[in-house]
Amino acid sequence: MKTYNLVETFLILCIVGVLSLISNTLGSKIPFVEAIPGLLILFAISMVGIAMGKYLPGGIPGVAYVVTLGCILTVPGVPGAEFINACMKKVGFVSLCTPILAYAGVAIGKDLDAFAKTGWRIVVLSCSIFIGTYVGSAVIAQLILKAMGQI
Amino acid sequence: MKNFKLHIMVAVFIAIAELIGVKTFKLGPGTVVLLPMLYALIFGIFSAPRFLKLSKQQDMEDASALLGITLMLLMARYGTLVGPTLPKIISASPALILQEFGNLGTCFFGVPLAVYFGLKRETIGAAHSIAREPNVALIGERFGLASAEGRGVMGVYISGTVFGTIFFGILSSFAAASGIFHPYALAMASGVGSASMMTAAVGSLTVMYPQMADQLAAFGAASNMLSGLDGLYMSIWMALPLSEWLYKKFYKIKYGVEPEKEAANNENV
Repeated sequence: MKTYNLVETFLILCIVGVLSLISNTLGSKIPFVEAIPGLLILFAISMVGIAMGKYLPGGIPGVAYVVTLGCILTVPGVPGAEFINACMKKVGFVSLCTPILAYAGVAIGKDLDAFAKTGWRIVVLSCSIFIGTYVGSAVIAQLILKAMGQI
Repeated sequence: MKNFKLHIMVAVFIAIAELIGVKTFKLGPGTVVLLPMLYALIFGIFSAPRFLKLSKQQDMEDASALLGITLMLLMARYGTLVGPTLPKIISASPALILQEFGNLGTCFFGVPLAVYFGLKRETIGAAHSIAREPNVALIGERFGLASAEGRGVMGVYISGTVFGTIFFGILSSFAAASGIFHPYALAMASGVGSASMMTAAVGSLTVMYPQMADQLAAFGAASNMLSGLDGLYMSIWMALPLSEWLYKKFYKIKYGVEPEKEAANNENV
């Protein structure tokens, strides 16, 4: 896989940030100026997380640091958590997905022939995977709730 | 990265998708929800040389390489969704926590079927989880999204994005109609780590049990946040090794030989 250095990562995140701002502004009707602080915070968390993944020992992927940092910074009682939460309310979760899927769609073009060949199998496989996680969780929840007398 | 044509094209897709906006309609017992991200994905696919010829080979390769990093802002946002409700999650009942292990059901259902279908290393990417954004990012970092594992996870990710919400809405109404499970158990199971899938699954349940609506939504949301919190670690430490192990077992049953070593398939990493 092509790997990017931190400067390239920085620039790519800038582009994605601007695109996210476009989708957030058009999709949520929140004025774009109000979404900027939230996006800057997400940007900072991403950069720090990616750098931690690159330089800290243990081989833990950067994405795990990014999620964990986002979580820790917003736990009630942590200094600044309230401010970050207020900023996040202006950045729609669903809006952030739109740029990703636009790039994903373009990238899929490369594998369309392969996907057309394995396509139906992947769709059937996906459905069985969805059933697997859903039924697996339901069985355990049912047994524990029964055992604890909650249902 | 410096492919400005790609970024401008993507910006146009995003703008059109967001201007169309969210659409919902009823289908049988479930509700079908169409989000702008779905339109953006479809526009992207239709830009391929096969269809509208808007994007060239270079654009598609650049987009593919960028994908891992484009996910990071969303991942940070994901963390900030979980943080504020952490105290609630900690005080949640043991059932809520233990049912998370049910998410490993993907491996037991998925790996045998994938091997039966003749998939090779794609199996690992496809069947280790329900392939939402954190899993795509994880597979991208570990194997690269251009690898066999990457193709597997992207295949399930795309299927999930296109059909997942609809499928979960219908699945949960069928499971409730079967009468085997208590609605509370099904609400907890709905939190698979995707807000849209969870909303669809819980939505079907609340239509069937309106008197429990609030309780069901609370269980669904808590379970979904929990999946967001543990999903990645569970994939790294449990689901991926389990998938590898099951893959070896079922591969041997089908082909009678051990699968090729990982390295042979990942020379481009």
